[in-house]
Amino acid sequence: MDKLELTFNGREYKAERSGDKLFVRVRPEGGSYGKPQQVVLVTGSHNLQILWLETGEGRTLQQFPFGYVVAEKMWAPVTETFLIPPNAKEYYSTGAWNGACMDCHVTQGQSRFIAGNKWDSQVAEFGIACEACHSEGREHIERNRNPFRRFKIHLTTKSDPTVINPASLKGPESGLACGQCHSVWAFNDMADKIDFNRHGAGFRPGARDLSQRFVVQPNVPDHPEQKDFIRRTEPDFFHNRFWDDGMIRVTGREFNGVQASPCFRGGEFSCISCHEMHLDSPGQTDAKTWARTDQLRPKMDSDTACLQCHKDMTARLVAHTHHSAESSGSRCYNCHMPRTTFGLLHAMRSHQVSSPTVQESIAYGRPNACNLCHLDQTLAWAAQHLHAWYNQPVPELSEDDRTIAAAVQWILKGDAGQRALIAWGMGWESAQKIAGRDWLYPYLIYTLTDSYAAVRFDAWKSLRTLPGFSDFSFTYTAPDQTLDEAATRAYEKWLGEVRNVNAAYRRETALDSDGRVRKDVFQRLRSARDEKPIFLAE
Amino acid sequence: MSRPSKPALPGVQLADRNLHFGWWSLLIFLSLGAVLEMLHGFKIGWYVDVRNETRRLMFTLAHAHGTLLAVVNIAAGLTVRIVDRFTLRPSVSFALIWAAILLPAGFFLGGIVIYDGDPGLGVWLVPIGAALLFYSIARIALDLSRRK
Repeated sequence: MDKLELTFNGREYKAERSGDKLFVRVRPEGGSYGKPQQVVLVTGSHNLQILWLETGEGRTLQQFPFGYVVAEKMWAPVTETFLIPPNAKEYYSTGAWNGACMDCHVTQGQSRFIAGNKWDSQVAEFGIACEACHSEGREHIERNRNPFRRFKIHLTTKSDPTVINPASLKGPESGLACGQCHSVWAFNDMADKIDFNRHGAGFRPGARDLSQRFVVQPNVPDHPEQKDFIRRTEPDFFHNRFWDDGMIRVTGREFNGVQASPCFRGGEFSCISCHEMHLDSPGQTDAKTWARTDQLRPKMDSDTACLQCHKDMTARLVAHTHHSAESSGSRCYNCHMPRTTFGLLHAMRSHQVSSPTVQESIAYGRPNACNLCHLDQTLAWAAQHLHAWYNQPVPELSEDDRTIAAAVQWILKGDAGQRALIAWGMGWESAQKIAGRDWLYPYLIYTLTDSYAAVRFDAWKSLRTLPGFSDFSFTYTAPDQTLDEAATRAYEKWLGEVRNVNAAYRRETALDSDGRVRKDVFQRLRSARDEKPIFLAE
Repeated sequence: MSRPSKPALPGVQLADRNLHFGWWSLLIFLSLGAVLEMLHGFKIGWYVDVRNETRRLMFTLAHAHGTLLAVVNIAAGLTVRIVDRFTLRPSVSFALIWAAILLPAGFFLGGIVIYDGDPGLGVWLVPIGAALLFYSIARIALDLSRRK
């Protein structure tokens, strides 16, 4: 990045290298470049990397306003790497790392607020180091200086009592080691908040609760006073993080989902039922693949994950799923962990193990697993099948729910969170196989001009999965006029070069026989769009 | 070529044994070095991955110690031939050869199965080899100093 030059909000940013150090200089509109600020820290690794600059105010850091999107090898304004309202221009700023990010992006951090926007933060280690998951290591290190002790442990199955191993804990405690960060949490009270700020987290892996904090589950009757306080002081807190039934909808907070799963009640289910934080089976996968595939244990990207417990399901798979054994509809994940959470610019699997219902879509707006794959089908179609196969009651449905594909409704009139999930979902290979590809073009092209950057990004990524558009260039962070031009270019390309003239378009897709949108339906759904600001606080 | 005219005393026979052993050992451990280079060259995860650092260290030590101790055996053999009135004691010849076996073998076996930061059980051969090496080198140094 040593020759990087970027512009944002009228300010120009120039990166310079001096020896092995990187500096950034900023020029405000009409001004000249200021003093160089050293890049002193990076948060994030394999998805999104955010840089932090020195401020000259002790240990207070300032955010470099651009993040590096690893998969795309591109820089984008940080505000446009989150699903936040388009008018929220500067989400993060000076002191944000000290006051918020370091709660989880370091090991045993202490924010240590001084005054104004000054901080004297301290950490045990930058990044997630051993003690973050294994608790304090002093005794472990001291006692294991003795090689005889170490070999005694190596040669027996006994775990070392001087250190916590999440793999040896019961599910709830094991999960909490991850959940100390990977959950929506809040402070018990102001005294605990101050204590956390000054002395860091009191929680140590192996403990049964988060000490000064608690995991916020909206619909669980714990911590009622604290939750009331949150509702009063931050009315959008729950809406920005949870679906209305209390299911988590943002990524990075998976423990909320795990904890709310029926599997969790058995006492054994935890994060490491499927994930491994050290690559324990190097022969089966390489470190890079493992890191990029959610650090899953071998075969845990298949039914094996669920069959660890649900052993009987192997024999009655087809009877249970009503799909052929090879179908994506017979994969446990696709029905019970559909991609209904969003963050880091993409849809991710829900970690609350659940069964699909149409009711969840009607009552809470959450795309159900059936229609996330059968994108071209209506909610009524899904309801009929769920009734026939699982005896689920058929909810009362609107005319649109009976005649227009659920995905079409979500991408046109849904809120930004729903649109983002569907924009991503239209690029999902399994869904394209089932629902077809020809009809997706007009919707994805239209979504290139969505007001939310994250939605545009996913529409572009999905469009590139379609024939004829694999090399389609598009800057999702460009000004509105450029976005319009790009969408027009894409539409003309599709209409003139790519469109399959022999394709048949199902009526539920709201397209006419030529594949163009039916204007009356399109305009009606578009004008009914849920425009409430969505701010997914991942 | 006839062998050197020095009388075939037991000490010289022992020195020959160390000399032969040393050259063969050198061949083996230089070959091991080539194998290790190959593991590096093809970036074999079992050897170069970060988590296998202990294995890499153990194999490197096996290669280095094996090579060095092969040279020490050769040097010991040649010293007998070069230095008048000096012979290897049977125990020294034995200890030098076994040190050159046990030390690298201990490192090598210790690298095959590793326990995170610790080598495998084979590494316990290393201190035995080290003791034999210490004895043999010290004995040679003393005998050389005391010869008349």
